[in-house]
Amino acid sequence: MKALLLLLAAAVLPAADSNSVLIRNVSVHPVTGPDIQNGSVLVLDGKVAEIGPKIAPRGGARVVDGHGLQLYPGMINAGTNIGLDEIQALHDSVDLDEIGMFNPELRAEVAFNPSSQHVEVVRAGGITSLISLPGSGGGGGSVITGQAALMHLDGWTWEEMAVKPSAVMEMLFPQIQSGGGRRQAAAGAQRSYRDDENQYKERLRQVSLFFEDARRYEKAKTAGAPDFQRDIKLEAMLPVIDGKQALFVRASTERAIKDAVAFADKEKVKIVIADPREIGATGPLLKAHQIAVVLGKTLALPEHEDDPYDAPYTLPNEFFKAGVKICFGTFDVEFARNVPFEAAQAAAFGLPHDEALKALTINSAEILGAGDQLGSIEKGKLGDLILTDGDPMEAKTNIKQMFIAGKEVSLESRHTREYEKWMKRP
Amino acid sequence: MKQASYASILTPPILALAALFFSPVQMSAEVPSAVAIKDAHVVTVSGQDLPKGTVLLRDGLIQEVGASVQIPPDAWVIEGAGLTVYPGFIDGLSNWGIPAPASARAGAAAPVPVEPRAHGPEDRPQTYAYERAADLVNPSDGRLEQARAAGFTSAATFPNRGIFEGQGALIDFAGQRGREMVVFEPVGQAVAFRSGGFGGGGRGGFPGSLMGNISYVRQLYLDLGQYQQAKQIYNAHPNGNRHPEYDHALEGLAESPRVLLPADREQQIDRILNFGPELKMPFLIYGLHEAYLRVDELRKANVPLLVSLKWPEAPREVNPTDIPSFRDLTMRDKAPAVPGMLAKAGVKFAFYSDGVDNAAELKRALKKAVDNGLSRADAVRALTLSVAEIYGVADRVGSIDKGKIANLVVTKGEAFDDKTTVEYVFVDGKKFVPSPEMQQGPANGAGGARRGNPPSGERAEDETDGRLN
Amino acid sequence: MRYLVLSLSLLAATVGIDQAQTVLIRNTTVLTVTKGTVPNGDVLIENGKVAAVGKNVSAPANATVVDGSGKFLMPGIIDCHSHTAVEGSVNEGTVSDSSMVDIKDVLDPTDINIYRALAGGLTVSNVLHGSANAIGGQTTVIKLRWGKTAPELLFEGAKPGIKFALGENPKRQGYPPQGQGLFNAGAAAERRYPGTRMGVEEVIRQSFTEAKIYQAEWKTYKERAARGEHPIPPRKDLRLEPLVEVLEGQRYVHAHSYRSDEILMLLRTADEMGFKIRTLQHVLEGYKVAKEIAAHGAGASTFSDWWSYKIEAYDATPYNAAIMARKGVVVSLNSDSDELQRHLNLEAAKTMRYGGLNETEALAMVTINPAKQLGIDDKVGSIEVGKSADLVLFDKHPLSDFSKPLKVWIDGHQYFDRDKDLEMRPGFEQQKKALQEKQAAEGRSGRGHGGAAVNPGPTAGPMVDLTGGGRS
Repeated sequence: MKALLLLLAAAVLPAADSNSVLIRNVSVHPVTGPDIQNGSVLVLDGKVAEIGPKIAPRGGARVVDGHGLQLYPGMINAGTNIGLDEIQALHDSVDLDEIGMFNPELRAEVAFNPSSQHVEVVRAGGITSLISLPGSGGGGGSVITGQAALMHLDGWTWEEMAVKPSAVMEMLFPQIQSGGGRRQAAAGAQRSYRDDENQYKERLRQVSLFFEDARRYEKAKTAGAPDFQRDIKLEAMLPVIDGKQALFVRASTERAIKDAVAFADKEKVKIVIADPREIGATGPLLKAHQIAVVLGKTLALPEHEDDPYDAPYTLPNEFFKAGVKICFGTFDVEFARNVPFEAAQAAAFGLPHDEALKALTINSAEILGAGDQLGSIEKGKLGDLILTDGDPMEAKTNIKQMFIAGKEVSLESRHTREYEKWMKRP
Repeated sequence: MKQASYASILTPPILALAALFFSPVQMSAEVPSAVAIKDAHVVTVSGQDLPKGTVLLRDGLIQEVGASVQIPPDAWVIEGAGLTVYPGFIDGLSNWGIPAPASARAGAAAPVPVEPRAHGPEDRPQTYAYERAADLVNPSDGRLEQARAAGFTSAATFPNRGIFEGQGALIDFAGQRGREMVVFEPVGQAVAFRSGGFGGGGRGGFPGSLMGNISYVRQLYLDLGQYQQAKQIYNAHPNGNRHPEYDHALEGLAESPRVLLPADREQQIDRILNFGPELKMPFLIYGLHEAYLRVDELRKANVPLLVSLKWPEAPREVNPTDIPSFRDLTMRDKAPAVPGMLAKAGVKFAFYSDGVDNAAELKRALKKAVDNGLSRADAVRALTLSVAEIYGVADRVGSIDKGKIANLVVTKGEAFDDKTTVEYVFVDGKKFVPSPEMQQGPANGAGGARRGNPPSGERAEDETDGRLN
Repeated sequence: MRYLVLSLSLLAATVGIDQAQTVLIRNTTVLTVTKGTVPNGDVLIENGKVAAVGKNVSAPANATVVDGSGKFLMPGIIDCHSHTAVEGSVNEGTVSDSSMVDIKDVLDPTDINIYRALAGGLTVSNVLHGSANAIGGQTTVIKLRWGKTAPELLFEGAKPGIKFALGENPKRQGYPPQGQGLFNAGAAAERRYPGTRMGVEEVIRQSFTEAKIYQAEWKTYKERAARGEHPIPPRKDLRLEPLVEVLEGQRYVHAHSYRSDEILMLLRTADEMGFKIRTLQHVLEGYKVAKEIAAHGAGASTFSDWWSYKIEAYDATPYNAAIMARKGVVVSLNSDSDELQRHLNLEAAKTMRYGGLNETEALAMVTINPAKQLGIDDKVGSIEVGKSADLVLFDKHPLSDFSKPLKVWIDGHQYFDRDKDLEMRPGFEQQKKALQEKQAAEGRSGRGHGGAAVNPGPTAGPMVDLTGGGRS
């Protein structure tokens, strides 16, 4: 009887997959504004329509009782390979690092597998959207790997999931091989630093030439040259050289960062520094140029034997203290759901708590060019929300419910299903 | 058409005759052997220096040494004013005298005998314990000339291949043929730790790790004990017992009076001090870059030591953002002080070339030790009598004493000083005059590789699932 | 940093860390793990052991007092799966059974990762051989006594172990030359048996069969000798000795495993061959055969939330620990990583989200449970009177992701102090800079001809290649 009533209720009330919802009786943490105890948030047609202490239901919104729990914006992982890499060891399931030095025309989102098991797994950690990068940061010799998209972790197709297609253009900034000694010994032949440096300069030169080609292409295109022919690679560079699309530059050493900033100056392009492993003296430089940083994992080993043991832990705060805008990414696949814990440990070692939270939400959105749509609970923004029983940066907190663009999404995954099934084994 | 080939008949004898004139090891005229170095500063090492002494050589031996020696009329006299005479230097662990294999030199694609992949210690991987330096030495090795130009007359030379590299011989750098060079053998078994890993040397076979090496050495010495016991029992009681197998490698091990084990870093030194006694065989340690951290322990252990002359130094061209670790910086700073520290603590040690093959580099390396706290006298001792004592040949080489082999180096100036030159070198009583140009350098290339240790702290692409992040 | 703390005498002099003496940690939240939590409690350390736990503990006049107000004290963390402090490769993967090698022979107490792990609260590690072969090398338990020599790291009284590996890793070298996936075995000169999971079982079965034969040979020899005959002794075989020890229960088996089928296989094979599996390591599908694991009595040491990096990890779930624990298995969380071992407390916290374990159960995953698995729970793993004073003082609750360790004691001796670490940094920087400058100056002046130019640095010796059969 009860089941029948529930079924009837489901038929009459707004369907669970509607994208209008009123969440009541929650502590609202907008991130860009003061917290509201005992508040409500109304989402209509996927966007936040109202936030306040008391809101009456309207617009066919489904009512959800928050039971006094916490409501946060859905978190953002600003650097992953989710959707492009299912099982790292099986190359057939990996679509990263295409062949070629310059691949600006490649779009990661078209290879994003919406059925990847990782989608459900990551979102169960409270993450509603992420950047999926076409490069792994590893070898392959690629410099410009392609365009990365900001993807919602919900949707029937990649098209539906793309919140901001081609959000950024990924670039692996050339770096000089360092750490001679054992790697050199292993390679057999002695590589001199001079050789490495020359090779590096040559690569930089090639990159400059490519950018110049792009500008020449633009000029010819705009001028309507009679012999103008469309080139998809150079076409893809136009938003970059026009400053409309940021270059997401992976640069791990101080020198690489400095060189990347100098490069951006020279080429007059907008950049974001991704996954730096040290700050050196680059803080003031980045601040002066208003270049933001997407941090990689906090929980990492120091780069050098003599580095302070907490060097990677304090790195986020070092950038913050220098006035640089930061957000967090994990630059992987398996641990993408743990990005909140990376932020938490940064806070343990100095980063103010609220900055850490911003670096998981609004900062990420703004740095990735989607600050008008995501990253905080504000009127007009997408209804990406999580309901938690505590601070979402704590592992012991449970993510209870999640809404992506106003639609409630399941927090079940392969992992929870295994749990349910095998707990039942007699 | 038949051609009278007189040429083909005559060619062999002509060639043989030509060989006599043009072969590198020519037959030379026999020079009378008596030489007197008169009124020189003689550093005997075994006793007091003679500020003005005479050394008389004859028949390849030291006939007389003293302040006032009766010089026989047939002796060739070298005026020793302004000259210093030392016993010829002995390289404590070398492969001088064992030339590189012909295939490496000529660059020819000579087929190299390839071992099958080892599946465990029973396959005796990388084991050449039975090889003898005495069988391999050849006076045509070009490095001998460089060595003499630095004052070296002898070496404890060992083959340099594999984990058990073979048996060394004490050789003098003179002679027409290899067999004339050998003074005494075997002087020991050299062990090196080879970690070729999965695809590396040894065709990817066992052992592939440092612990594999150690376990293998341990097993081999256990096998030696059992082998000797088995033979003994079998010979006494053959009836009812299966006969033991013959083991070439173990025979080689059995003959060696001592084993040489490598250790550079402090934890390696600790490890070898612990491991050596397990083998129930006299052992000595070579390498010792970080020995400045273990002087006391080494003194207590009372194990003979061979200090490497290949001082750890910064590579030529570095990435300026690549800063070495404090530990490595300290090692570069302190390693040259090790000999001085050992001498002060009364620990017996000798030097070995460790791939420093060039006259100028050898001198520079020795000077570095002297500049860092080793007295000149102790330096000389570490190159002469100490080596001889370590190898049990102090009764015949290592000092300027009557009856010993006439191995001497005569310098103008005190040994190892920048301006000092080596004027003469006597090996087995034969006089060599090293070229001044050779003594100046520059270095002809990088020298040889070091002996003994795999890279420490090496973590290859391992099968673990850990993230070394 | 490590350099300043290398010898024990220097340790006291330069760092000023107290020798093992009497210490009173006052007014702190004591998380004993086994005997509840004492708020505003005191812990007294004497002679390397916990002497008292409670409220208002009195201490002798000479006691060093540590103010724990607002802080949290927990037992030293224990990691059942470590490859830290090993010199050279952690794998002797060239043969299918490398039980003759021993991690103890290659412990490297100078590995900076020991110090970094200490700074994360780690006090005990089970240092293991890698997973390149079905039967790997002998393993050892150490305490992270930074600054001591290798023999001094050994955990006295801990039973030695041996590593087994099942699944993909030990069979990779047996793949056909085309290879599959990123970990291509094609590099090996020839295929090394086994190439399948069935073969992995066979290696174990074969080796233990040989071990039994060996055991019998020695028995026969001893009998013959006792009878006055003159038998030739069998060759002492370092590979088979540790396997005999396993059969005799003197050596623990730690088995890296993933899939439920191979876990079951190993338990059954062990039963048949007459030995026990002490722990299953990683055991990511252990939740499917938790019943069998519990029945066998094996412990399970697993990752908190690793999955998907290879296909045998695809069915992994972070609920694994909780499921197995609920089904009666003693479960610990491990690191298998120089990096992860620095924050095992944060990994433990994940079991509260994935399976709803409570705080004590979560903490147990990295303290008393691994201690039980290693047979050292009489000495470590909880804060109890009489146990070793292995303690970590955190600034916040250790299960909070916002926490960090401040002080670490092992055997009552303080091995890590964050304040002192921070204090010493400028001095160390200066010292290093001075040394760099000194060497740069030397380099500019008297290097002269050549120099030992191609020596790429002391940590790189020649990677010896023997295929030329001559001098390298």
